[in-house]
Amino acid sequence: MMKEGPDTIIERFHSISENPQEYAKSRQGKGQLLAGYMCTHVPEEILYAAGIIPVRILSSHVSQAMTRSYMHETYCSFSHDCAYQGLAHNYDFLDLIVTSSSCIHMGEAFNVWVRFAGFQEKSFLIPYPHIIETKPAAAFMAASFEEFKQFLEKFVKKSITDGDIERAIRVCNQTRRLLKRLWEFLRSESSPITGPEVATVTLASQLMDKEEYNPMLEQLIQSLEVEPGKAPSGVRLMVTGGACDDPGIFDLIEHLNYSAKLIFIDSCTATRYFWFEVPENRSDKLQAIAEGYIRRIPCPAKDNVPGTGEKKRFRFIQQFIEEFRPDGVVFLYQRFCSPQPMDVVALKPILDKLGIPSTELELDTTVPITQFRTQLEALVEVIKGVTP
Amino acid sequence: MAYTLTTWNDFKNYQTTCYRNYLYASEGLRVMGSTWSVLAPLKGLGEDLHLIGGEPHAASTAGTFPEESREDISAAEVAGLGFHSCSYLKLFVGEVVRDKIGITDKTIKEGYPRPDLIWTTHLCSQHSKWYQEVSRRLGGVPMYAIDMIGGGDAEKDPKIVNYVSDQIEEGIHWLERVTGRGFSDELFIKAARNEIKVLVLWGNICALNRHAPAPLDERRFIALFPPAVVDRTTDETVQLYEALLKEVRHMVETGQSVVPDQRFRIVYFGIAHTYGHPEMARILRDAGAEIVASVYTFGTCGNFRGFVGGKWSWDPLDPTWVDELDLSTRRKAITELVKIALGWPTWQGVRSYWALESMARAMVAEYKADGLLLAPSRSCETDFRNGYVGMQRIFKSEIPTVEYDSDQVDVRKMDLPGAQRKTELFVHLMEAHKRRST
Amino acid sequence: MKILAGLDVGHVNTKAILMKGQEILGYSTVPTGYDVVAAAQTALRHALDTVGVSRGGLAGIVTTGIFRERMKEPPLDITRTVADYVADAKGASFLSRNSRTVIDIGGNIQKAIRYDQNGNTLDVIQNDKCADGLGIFYTTMAKAIGISEQEMSELALQSTQKVSVAIHCAASAESEAIDLMCQGIDIADVAEAISRFIAERVAAMCTTMSLEKEIVVAGGLAKSKALMKHLPSLIEQDVSILSFPEYVGAIGAVMSY
Repeated sequence: MMKEGPDTIIERFHSISENPQEYAKSRQGKGQLLAGYMCTHVPEEILYAAGIIPVRILSSHVSQAMTRSYMHETYCSFSHDCAYQGLAHNYDFLDLIVTSSSCIHMGEAFNVWVRFAGFQEKSFLIPYPHIIETKPAAAFMAASFEEFKQFLEKFVKKSITDGDIERAIRVCNQTRRLLKRLWEFLRSESSPITGPEVATVTLASQLMDKEEYNPMLEQLIQSLEVEPGKAPSGVRLMVTGGACDDPGIFDLIEHLNYSAKLIFIDSCTATRYFWFEVPENRSDKLQAIAEGYIRRIPCPAKDNVPGTGEKKRFRFIQQFIEEFRPDGVVFLYQRFCSPQPMDVVALKPILDKLGIPSTELELDTTVPITQFRTQLEALVEVIKGVTP
Repeated sequence: MAYTLTTWNDFKNYQTTCYRNYLYASEGLRVMGSTWSVLAPLKGLGEDLHLIGGEPHAASTAGTFPEESREDISAAEVAGLGFHSCSYLKLFVGEVVRDKIGITDKTIKEGYPRPDLIWTTHLCSQHSKWYQEVSRRLGGVPMYAIDMIGGGDAEKDPKIVNYVSDQIEEGIHWLERVTGRGFSDELFIKAARNEIKVLVLWGNICALNRHAPAPLDERRFIALFPPAVVDRTTDETVQLYEALLKEVRHMVETGQSVVPDQRFRIVYFGIAHTYGHPEMARILRDAGAEIVASVYTFGTCGNFRGFVGGKWSWDPLDPTWVDELDLSTRRKAITELVKIALGWPTWQGVRSYWALESMARAMVAEYKADGLLLAPSRSCETDFRNGYVGMQRIFKSEIPTVEYDSDQVDVRKMDLPGAQRKTELFVHLMEAHKRRST
Repeated sequence: MKILAGLDVGHVNTKAILMKGQEILGYSTVPTGYDVVAAAQTALRHALDTVGVSRGGLAGIVTTGIFRERMKEPPLDITRTVADYVADAKGASFLSRNSRTVIDIGGNIQKAIRYDQNGNTLDVIQNDKCADGLGIFYTTMAKAIGISEQEMSELALQSTQKVSVAIHCAASAESEAIDLMCQGIDIADVAEAISRFIAERVAAMCTTMSLEKEIVVAGGLAKSKALMKHLPSLIEQDVSILSFPEYVGAIGAVMSY
């Protein structure tokens, strides 16, 4: 088989992330079961072990008001969009939808699917810690995962063995390792891949069968290793915040009137999704999954270390700042998100102490691109110490 | 003739005393946190603890100092908190930012009294983050947030009960380390029994409103539930609610009410918001419409039978059952306390839409409601904002149902003219429904 | 037969209508402005002038609308006031005997009202604060583009490409519409996005309540073809636009005399 160049592979990932339902249906057409999920705290390993492909529900970016009579209008756009897709029957083909106790907005989007979009009989809510750092969190999660596993066994009408779970753990870990390698390219001043492209490839990992995804990503990484640098030079910008699946915003960062490049994204649609591993070869597989998920970069909605009140996520952010050396930070979160702004107010002083300027952009179903451009260029001007 | 409660002043005085103690105590420990936490473990450290609960303090401050409250909320926003954040949170943090605090006896103290520790829970996606912010601003106050999980039937799920109980056990060790005090199981168990007793007593008082005429109205419930939220672990609170229960039983036996003219009985699902309520109440009162049952005032510090055979029941629990509860060990006391807290209607509904819906159905039926008034709060994260949107869709074809915009304490987010119009509409719909039924 | 006047005093416009029995004699609309009493007097006077009747020739005046209570002030000497949803139901029922639901899209308030065969209100759903001012928003956007509301509707019908404006609130929608114009998006497409935004907000509100056929539409924005193009598919029901759509409340006020 002729080896594909990196651009071709990236385009394939891009096409899948632009048409997630088409891809999902193609897998279903091959006889595979599909489970939609809305929050990345769902243990995908257990779904894989049951022979079910997890498919993340992301935005359709359709501006609609239908969901305003199902969910309060001041819940975030992302949750409204996800709820809308259920009501619009975009995902009726799914065999199952699953969520873990998440932030409340996404929890309500899930509830809309269950109550009003016909998923009552094919849904499962996994009780999950709301504070991930509690001492008994792992034991609680393992007990929850056991109930989920038993539900899936009834659902697929077969047992899920330890061997099945171990295999699934390895597949998912492989995805995580490969993605980490991919993101490492962005450390370099002359990366062979751009930040927006890395973001697109990462998004595809949440939509694809990982057993198909992993070899594609492996091939991409291998081809990138011999590619010359192509990412723009200039100011290095890091994004931190909530779910963002709009590639246009990341493209904007690299197409300002100043040269700038996107070098890191701390969000659940990017690095928070995969920046951890589940311990392998443990006798208690579910406990291992629990421990792995606890090691994730915490979601702001779940981050409060008992005893100190520390936001553990900030340790990761400081680590990323050291390793990826951003010149500036863009806070990117959904309008009406509750936990993200609570973190921003505490993170900004830390960035100030590190001498890193920042700006805030609020996401919505559609965004005012021109205004965003102005804000981002202003940030670059501050970083470069220039006036326009 | 309208009945006047004899126990009224005692309730107000208790709340004020708690706040005054927090502000002015020269000894003991100051503790801050959400009153949705279990409070009894704190009392294992001694009886010289002075508590301030975020929600009741914010609510009562907004009622006592409307102008100061606006300044507090603005100060929090200027300090970086989002417009859409919880308004209780912003008022509370705003006081820290402005370094002044106002309480129910109309005192404003310059210089915010720093708590010795924060003991709280994580009710919603910003709840414990509230106290992270306070801790940060006050130079790093030790804080312990308990993940209660919540949800329908949570108290029946052993893994949830164990998860929460394990955290509390761990929390007790933390309390000892942070305060340097030994933990007294004797004091803790006494406080635990008091805490459970108060919650059961309040449930009994609320359940009496199923009678006609309902002895109490929402305005009274709002004024009478603060001791149970501010500090429900003391002998004094138990006595307060025992006396109130006795008085309300007497009202029922003699057919008396604080609002005898009850042409329409209303079930209310909304936070006990400070602004707008008097205006709404006046419009309703002129029509003889009274709120006789409310999920927030009933369910934030009251326990009921809960889910029985898959359906919610607002039947009260027998207070003597509390006296017989086996609290002979620390773990047993923790476990019973956790089950009771998880059994609160508000802990159940806040994470389970189906629990909220079942509660609403039961409340409408048991309290013989003529109308359902929904007031989602624009800055509340939980079902107190969102759940009522879905409920409107479900109940509108069954019973006169009106929903209006409200907020806990941020008057900018209330739509007062709109809310008044909708209250008038609500009365109109109930009248029309009554005419059709007769 | 008596001549009666109905006054519907809204946020944006004040509408006056004169009726004799079932016959509509004359009508007038004036901007409400900041002096609601003066606006009501002007609207009434204009309506009387079109018919050649003096104020003394009126047997009674009934007011409705958001400022109806202000009309009790002298010198209007009104007979009674009636709630806007009551008036809307009566007016819609008068104009369309088979109708059972009216969707009223006003300047500041939108509502859907279900009523019986006699126009008696059965149920009402009304917008929340975030959706206040959809009509005002429409007017503002027309001004921002530099055209009339009528022209805005005609322009929207010429749209060839779907674009979206933020749905959360009129303030963000306005901001985004201007952003789209700055990006050089075809103004017809922006006009269409605005029309669809309003229709979607109205539809979302309506579908919380069960709507009984036949469904009619009232209010100033009912005259926008671009807006009305979307409404039936969004609520998944057929609708028809009442004649005298902006006078439904005023007519209903007369019916409530």
